[in-house]
Amino acid sequence: MGQGLLTGVSTDLATPVTTRPPPRHLPARRRHWPRVRHFAGFAGPGVLVYVCFVLAPILVSGWYSLTNYNPFNPPTRFTGLRNYRLLFTDAEFLTSLRVTTILTMIVVIVPNVLGLGIALLLDRRGWLYNALRSVFFIPVVLSSVVVSVIWTRLLDNDGLVNQSLRAVGVDNPPGWLSDPAYALYSVGAILSWQMLGLCVVVYLAGLQGVPAELHEAAEIDGAGPVRRFRAITWPLLAPALTINTVVLLISGFKVFDHIQVITHGGPGTGTTATLAYTVLQTGFVANRRGYASATAVVMLVIVATVSGIVLKVLQRREVEL
Amino acid sequence: MKRILALGTAALAAAAGLTACSTKDTSQGSGPKEITFLTFETPNLTPQYWDAAIKRVTDKYPDIKVRKLVSPDQDRTTYAKQLLTSGQFPDVMIAVSPAGFAEAGNLYAWSQDELSQFQFPTNGAIKGKVYQLPANTQTIPIVYYNKSLFSRAGLSGPPKTYPEMLEDAARLKAKGITPFVVGGGHDALGPTFAGILATDVYARNPNWMRERREGKVKFSDPDFTRAAGKLADLAGKGYIDKRDLSRDYAATQQAFLDGKGAMYAMGNWFAAALDSPQTKPKFEVGQFDWPSDDGTLAVPAFTGGGLLVSATAKNLDAARKFALAFQLDKANLDNSTTSDGLFPAVKGYTPPAGTGAAYKAGYELFHQAVGANAVVPAFGFEAGDDGMLPGVVEKWVSAAADLITGKPVDQVCRSLDTEWDKAS
Repeated sequence: MGQGLLTGVSTDLATPVTTRPPPRHLPARRRHWPRVRHFAGFAGPGVLVYVCFVLAPILVSGWYSLTNYNPFNPPTRFTGLRNYRLLFTDAEFLTSLRVTTILTMIVVIVPNVLGLGIALLLDRRGWLYNALRSVFFIPVVLSSVVVSVIWTRLLDNDGLVNQSLRAVGVDNPPGWLSDPAYALYSVGAILSWQMLGLCVVVYLAGLQGVPAELHEAAEIDGAGPVRRFRAITWPLLAPALTINTVVLLISGFKVFDHIQVITHGGPGTGTTATLAYTVLQTGFVANRRGYASATAVVMLVIVATVSGIVLKVLQRREVEL
Repeated sequence: MKRILALGTAALAAAAGLTACSTKDTSQGSGPKEITFLTFETPNLTPQYWDAAIKRVTDKYPDIKVRKLVSPDQDRTTYAKQLLTSGQFPDVMIAVSPAGFAEAGNLYAWSQDELSQFQFPTNGAIKGKVYQLPANTQTIPIVYYNKSLFSRAGLSGPPKTYPEMLEDAARLKAKGITPFVVGGGHDALGPTFAGILATDVYARNPNWMRERREGKVKFSDPDFTRAAGKLADLAGKGYIDKRDLSRDYAATQQAFLDGKGAMYAMGNWFAAALDSPQTKPKFEVGQFDWPSDDGTLAVPAFTGGGLLVSATAKNLDAARKFALAFQLDKANLDNSTTSDGLFPAVKGYTPPAGTGAAYKAGYELFHQAVGANAVVPAFGFEAGDDGMLPGVVEKWVSAAADLITGKPVDQVCRSLDTEWDKAS
């Protein structure tokens, strides 16, 4: 059985694709055909899934965005760029864009900075440090709904945070999730808390790739810890910074589930409504699927553009040993 | 290569087979007719409540097999929309707003014959047709008050007028008691706003929402603006703690049951929690109607909330039969009074003698209002042609939160008009 399974795929590294090379007298196209079929066998299912569940919905959304599609109010008509023109004068969309930008900035900066600091502290051997790494990583593997429910309870007016503040003499603690002045930053803090572990792990992996000899040589040359960090560690952590920043950037832009569970876009109108949340509300509550699709398309363009620029900029400062 | 293709084909065939299983068409043949039924859960409406209610009907009709679906949160209407979009529209639903679904032809319109046993057979009609069984009446809100906290503030009874209620709230606040318990979201905050709007808008013009649909009135008109100002004023004076907006529905109910505030404007379904031995509070709770400025009675109520059937249900006859049987089953009606505090609007029905004291008190208040011809629509809870346009109810709830968090009243009212225009 095992023998049979291996017949289609060579285990010889020198001939990685097929055990029987095609005869040389065949035309080039026919000689390559077995290789194409071979790779298609592996890549086909993945490509099929990608086309069905990513590419096709994007294209369908693009089409919907040019219509007035509302499943509860037929007929659907082609409206050209009308949805896009309305979008950029729509206070709800502009508010959600502002909210998403602020939230993304918090989510990119806070876990990156804290993650780097914690990774530097944990970059040591010993069971305690191993245990602490696991502790910091636990929130990453928790469901965002679970995290949201826990923090909603903690930050509620009667929650543990405000109870603790009252216990130490703060008579009037803030409404962390109910005051428009705090709610967005509270959600940002919750997201940062959940993403922190990811940054710690990525930075730790980066730190372990920094050769000890470089530090030893710099130390012999009289460089102190700060100088060594600036001249050696920080430049060599550039790939880790790139990964963390891009992952956090994309996560920040598409936040939906935390908002849905914690604030429902409030308190009040749109104070924490992100673009993703607004898309869902417009599409599934107000039933304006065409308009919601236009919002989604704009969101896709923004995320792709910003991620692309950030990726290019950060990759430029990456150095190779 | 052939092996890989064969494996892929087999996997696709298996997936297709599984998909086929999940949407089994039982419209033909002699087996039980399967239907899907969308429910929702609350502290009062537990999984056991639904399972038992469904079983009572399927015991009566063994040819019907019910697959229960549960909305992930209380917003079952949005969930129903998602299911419709993904081609999984339930065959039967309960307490889903028919707005939008009905106009698009997704719902079955009940015949006069099928509606003959309901007290208000035309309630919630959309362009003359009824899509949701007008099964029960709910007063939204009744104001529940904590007698123990009232007496601590030196208050001997409930207020008769709105100015009296403000005086009571001031005395409660002076004693360090939060006068009003509220939360965020439609069901936790909406009833408080609905109380004000009943006395200040609907009592003056019971057709206000129909006229809004016709463009004759606006949210920025004086009546609505004045009512919105009252809600903002309650928060501005500290009678509503704006920090409580982060509470969800269950936490809001629990806050009142835990004695964290003196008054709780809520639908009469809250009586079920007061009468249940599991949730009954240690203090006594009284009830009164939301008072108007001069004490004139105006009690907001909504009749509807029943079952709806998909017009495209594969087993439409079974779905209709199930929905009517579920709605009219005596045991189900009795349980809806005890578990959800509802007032069944079914001809000849009287609640069982053993209903709790809180239920009876609420029922009595409602019947007094009926006798005085003082029942008005419950703002934000209406349905059909009497309700808001799809998507506006959520904006109305957000507007209520805006008022509590201090946004200018005029701005909030104008933004509601903008949202209405967008929705229309």
